[in-house]
Amino acid sequence: MSSAEVVLYEKKPLPAKLTLIGLALLAIGGALAGIGFTSDSVRASYNLIIVFMWLFSIGFGSLFLIALEHIVGADWSVPFRRITEILAGVVFIVPIVAIPLFINLDQVFVWINPQVLEADKYIKGKAPYLNQDFFVIRNAVIFGLMILFFILLSVRSFKQDVNKNPKASKTSAKLAAIFLPIFAISISVVAMDWLMSLEPKWFSTIFGVYYFAGSVLSTLSILTIIVILLVENGYLSKYINEDHYYNLGALMFAFTNFWAYIAFSQFLLIWYANIPDETLWYMDRSNGAWMIMSLGIIFVRFGIPYLALVTRPSKSNPFRLKIIATWVFLAHYYDLYWVIMPEYAKRNGVDGPVFGLTELSAPFIVVGAVIVVLALLSKGKNLMPVGDPKFKRSLEFHL
Amino acid sequence: MSIELTHEPSVIAGKPSLKQIDASIIKPMNEVPNKKFFMAITLTLTMLSIGAVSLGMSFYRGLGLWGVNNPVGWGFAIINFVFWVGIGHAGTLISAILYLFRQKWRTGIARFAEGMTIFAVMTAGIFPLIHVGRPWLAGYLFPYPNQHSLWVNFTSPLLWDVFAVSTYFTVSFVFWYIGLVPDFATMRDRLSNSTAVDKIKKTIYSVLSLGWRFSNRHWSHYEMMYLVLAGFATPLVLSVHTIVSFDFAVSIMPGWHTTIFPPYFVAGAVFSGFAMVQNALIIIRKVFDLEYIITLDTLEKMNKIIIVTGLMVGYAYGMEFFIAWYSGHEVESFAFLNRAFGPYAWAYWIMVSCNVIAPQFFWFKKLRTNIPFMFVVAVLVNVGMWFERFVITVTSLSRDYLPSSWAYYTPTIYDFGILIGSFGWFFTLLLIFTRTMPVVSIAEVKAVVDGAQPSHHGIGHSTGEGH
Repeated sequence: MSSAEVVLYEKKPLPAKLTLIGLALLAIGGALAGIGFTSDSVRASYNLIIVFMWLFSIGFGSLFLIALEHIVGADWSVPFRRITEILAGVVFIVPIVAIPLFINLDQVFVWINPQVLEADKYIKGKAPYLNQDFFVIRNAVIFGLMILFFILLSVRSFKQDVNKNPKASKTSAKLAAIFLPIFAISISVVAMDWLMSLEPKWFSTIFGVYYFAGSVLSTLSILTIIVILLVENGYLSKYINEDHYYNLGALMFAFTNFWAYIAFSQFLLIWYANIPDETLWYMDRSNGAWMIMSLGIIFVRFGIPYLALVTRPSKSNPFRLKIIATWVFLAHYYDLYWVIMPEYAKRNGVDGPVFGLTELSAPFIVVGAVIVVLALLSKGKNLMPVGDPKFKRSLEFHL
Repeated sequence: MSIELTHEPSVIAGKPSLKQIDASIIKPMNEVPNKKFFMAITLTLTMLSIGAVSLGMSFYRGLGLWGVNNPVGWGFAIINFVFWVGIGHAGTLISAILYLFRQKWRTGIARFAEGMTIFAVMTAGIFPLIHVGRPWLAGYLFPYPNQHSLWVNFTSPLLWDVFAVSTYFTVSFVFWYIGLVPDFATMRDRLSNSTAVDKIKKTIYSVLSLGWRFSNRHWSHYEMMYLVLAGFATPLVLSVHTIVSFDFAVSIMPGWHTTIFPPYFVAGAVFSGFAMVQNALIIIRKVFDLEYIITLDTLEKMNKIIIVTGLMVGYAYGMEFFIAWYSGHEVESFAFLNRAFGPYAWAYWIMVSCNVIAPQFFWFKKLRTNIPFMFVVAVLVNVGMWFERFVITVTSLSRDYLPSSWAYYTPTIYDFGILIGSFGWFFTLLLIFTRTMPVVSIAEVKAVVDGAQPSHHGIGHSTGEGH
């Protein structure tokens, strides 16, 4: 084979100004959040949960996508895997965001308040699980596991660029198998702790799956945006073709449907049984202007992405895919806002959704953090997994 | 054996010629069945007869012969219904969802698995009909304007079942039939008009093949149709078992009303369905000498799906238990403690050991590729999944809100007779299927043999660089 002479990928470092852009966005977001904290620290804390859960989605979701590729032996996603591996570096930012929240847990979680515990026997009954110490410990363990698997999945892959060891791919598949059950439990615990327990009376067995579906969507969408931008500017291989994009779009389409399925199942069962302890969560989201947001989520998260992605060209045309992915990425913000902020409104006598400078901080911080991680972690590295034995074959992928 | 990562491994062992593929798949249909076949079908027909007698008795004397009573009004009939609908799910997952995922290893097993779907849904459909007590009135389940102004209850998930299952059956049947058309044509073409029997067979296959001529245009329509039907069948897989789960979950019965039921039921259905397909295929590939098409690698991949879906089911068990405690509601916590430690604890622990513990052995490649071992695990999974439905249905009902009405449900010999009969019915259909239609898609297998696909020549050839 003469293919050895073909240059599949040429290493080209990302522009230095990228770090500055990321830091600038982070600074704007941080400043907005800071202003928020000085004027209304409770509201700012709720917003910080949005940031936290969004970043957790991306960091943990990236590890999930890497593991998924290894375990099913996918070819098409190999060219993008390095970006996912770098994106997984967001797991280092997640604990940093969590620290201010850990300090102010009582501002958002009513189950810490002893008076609430005394007044409500149901919340009191949950104390063995919902207490400050256990909450901090189990979340810290999950952060540790995230970083551990970043080392096991991402860092091992970085090294494969140099050592070209094909056995490393097989080990990764085994590690991925170990990771996935841990991932399933961890993401459910995080979803229940940080989102479900905002209303400690409410419970839903599907809630972990609900957050998982949204997390994968947000990871896939940011990955799609980054990949398309990098290819367009010549940082990745020129052999990435529209069939590669098609798969990113198709996966996004599949998870859009999956999210709708899970969200609908949860809603229908609670609505149909009509038990006050369960319906209260939806009641909080149907008062006044919240109802508009609740109806809106059907279109924002499902209707529009569904129609936008259902045709074949929309999945393989990079320009269209870029726009849809941006929409899907921001729809995760809408979803998190819809899950988190009604709890703020209810407990602080606010009527309907609020959107001010404080709320604006979340997208700035998240996008800034992603850019910074991308710029810093990609330094000196290839942007494609050139040591992967499937690398050439994956670039030759056709539907 | 090391796995070659730079090239996609072939899903068919060896390099069989096209003729060889035709011959080995069609062989069972051209010869007189052997003694083993007659023994097998005698067994299944006996089982079927047991079921027919039990059912006849039930109609003659009334459903009082069954174990159902207050408070357990849903007994074996609903358990068997859910079990058999679940068995059907693997077929659609293999033939439709794996097709959308472009998994080539599905080609060897898709046809057979989909046949199982059809027979399983046919088996499942019997149970709601007989459970209504007067099956001749079941026509009223379909909403139509009638002179009595009688309408069905549109808010009942039991009615949604009627729509979901009948749609699922129709689409699965059409999908299966479309796939069979080119194979019927192959069989038609291989038959001569020499003997009277061949003549009859040829006529039947000619009619069934709908004038298929293997033309380019036929193929391009076929591919399009197949893709569209796969797209239709995929949401149907989810919707059918979702609606089956709604039968339970929309109620306010402790242990039934929990939001994870829809995905949990779908995962469980795929889990048990794969186990059943695994059991049947292990026998089929051996008896029909199809080991080069249904390779050990394919079986291993199926085992991987069994462990994944098994873990999903395990996740749901755990989550249900946790939330039952977390909800703080006494009846919820009681329902789950009652499952694990109440009078039906034996059923619960059979379920947990078969569904959660047994598949864990598949973590090890040695066990995953050991055929007798995987056969045993697949049987256990089927047992476990039947017990799962038993646990869900019976434990919640037998100890409901009113302790004075609690009662222990004991199935009668007629219940078991009908259960045995359902297996007899299913396997009889399956045996007839193996003798009359190709159990492996001839056309699709030919398309995945090494060298059958158009080559893109790879980077460096197509671009002209590097020459």
